[in-house]
Amino acid sequence: MFIKNTWYVACSLAELEALGDKPLGRTICNEKMAIFKGVDGKVAAVEDFCPHRGAPMSLGKACKNGLRCGYHGLEMGTDGKTVHMPGQRVRGFPAVKAFAVVERYGFVWAWPGDQTQADEAQMPVFEFFDNPAWAYGGGLYHVKADYRLMIDNLMDLTHETYVHSTSIGQPEIDETPCETKVDGDKVITQRFMDNIQAPPFWQMAMSANGLDPQAQVDRWQICRFSPPSHIMIDVGVALAGHGGFDAPADKKAYSVVVDFITPETETSHWYHWGMARNFKANDAALTDSIRQGQGKIFGEDMEMLQLQQENILRHPDRKLLMLNIDAGGVQSRRVIERHLQQEQTGATA
Amino acid sequence: MSDQNTFEVHLAQRNLTLTVPPEKSILQVLQDAGVEVPFSCSEGVCGTCLTQVKEGEPEHWDMYLTPEEQEKNDCMMVCISRSKSPRLVLDL
Repeated sequence: MFIKNTWYVACSLAELEALGDKPLGRTICNEKMAIFKGVDGKVAAVEDFCPHRGAPMSLGKACKNGLRCGYHGLEMGTDGKTVHMPGQRVRGFPAVKAFAVVERYGFVWAWPGDQTQADEAQMPVFEFFDNPAWAYGGGLYHVKADYRLMIDNLMDLTHETYVHSTSIGQPEIDETPCETKVDGDKVITQRFMDNIQAPPFWQMAMSANGLDPQAQVDRWQICRFSPPSHIMIDVGVALAGHGGFDAPADKKAYSVVVDFITPETETSHWYHWGMARNFKANDAALTDSIRQGQGKIFGEDMEMLQLQQENILRHPDRKLLMLNIDAGGVQSRRVIERHLQQEQTGATA
Repeated sequence: MSDQNTFEVHLAQRNLTLTVPPEKSILQVLQDAGVEVPFSCSEGVCGTCLTQVKEGEPEHWDMYLTPEEQEKNDCMMVCISRSKSPRLVLDL
């Protein structure tokens, strides 16, 4: 189950623009969409279903009227209504769904639910996008697992010690208890590890930021969930004893792990991952190397989650344990459940 | 369409008169009588079953003809449209 009356990242702008005048076919919350850039440069999304013979509109092309089906040339507007088809009168053709989309922060955001409720004012706000003091790099994985398993994963970083032992994992993560707080719709799970050796990824980041990679550090992880399924994680290390998270910029390497988790079906999702950093923002080579490192690390999660999903499907009646380290995921799922109930009873979120 | 009536269609070329009951379309009655006419969507959208009307007043239910064309009453979509007059004469 997913919250549908909300904004999800549908794709990155770069992914869509790479297709030129071709649409991107993507399923979001079980809604099949053809997302395209119109000849006017505006992004639009319609149901990926031609009213003529059910062909996917995503195999078509943008045209002056909107989108032309790649099967028999039916042309529909961005509102899903057919406006032209060679040799046909189209007045009686049934319209297909059109989805509200917003282009922002380098992504296309889509509203898969009730279109009358689509509200641009409800778009989330992020300080690090479109901000010259920050650099952003990221990627996309298609993960064959319930999107909530990804939320669990990101709201419990204890797994880093085992899944990511060669990059960001270290035994001190296990040894330090985490704390989970709920503030309305927001859930925060945080862990502070003082006076430790930085793990390999952070040694690299320290070097990049002019710090001695062998120095003792205070390390932090602050995972922030907000509905429907966005997780921003403050991560970093500061030279030990300088205030940790609050240390001055020249004493730390600090970034935000950006996770936009978009449900595809009940058992699959699109995982838009990335990292925003406010050191060496103009260093494009560093952005690339961080993206590569992060991509490799997050690929390790993908393998784990997909096989976890297979196990859960094989044993649907088995109850899973919710331990103290799982509190962040448990609380995040509660927020989702509450929104789902509001949606189903028709109350405004 | 719960108030659909019974009416007659006379096929001028064949000199054949058929009765259209409320639960059937003109197209179904034609097919039952072995009169094959071109058709496709069966819901008044595609225009394939366009048929000339020689007498009578059709009740237009289709989305193919424009309102102006419908007002002329000289043609109709036999898959969905019916009759306001007790008898229609079709050029079939």
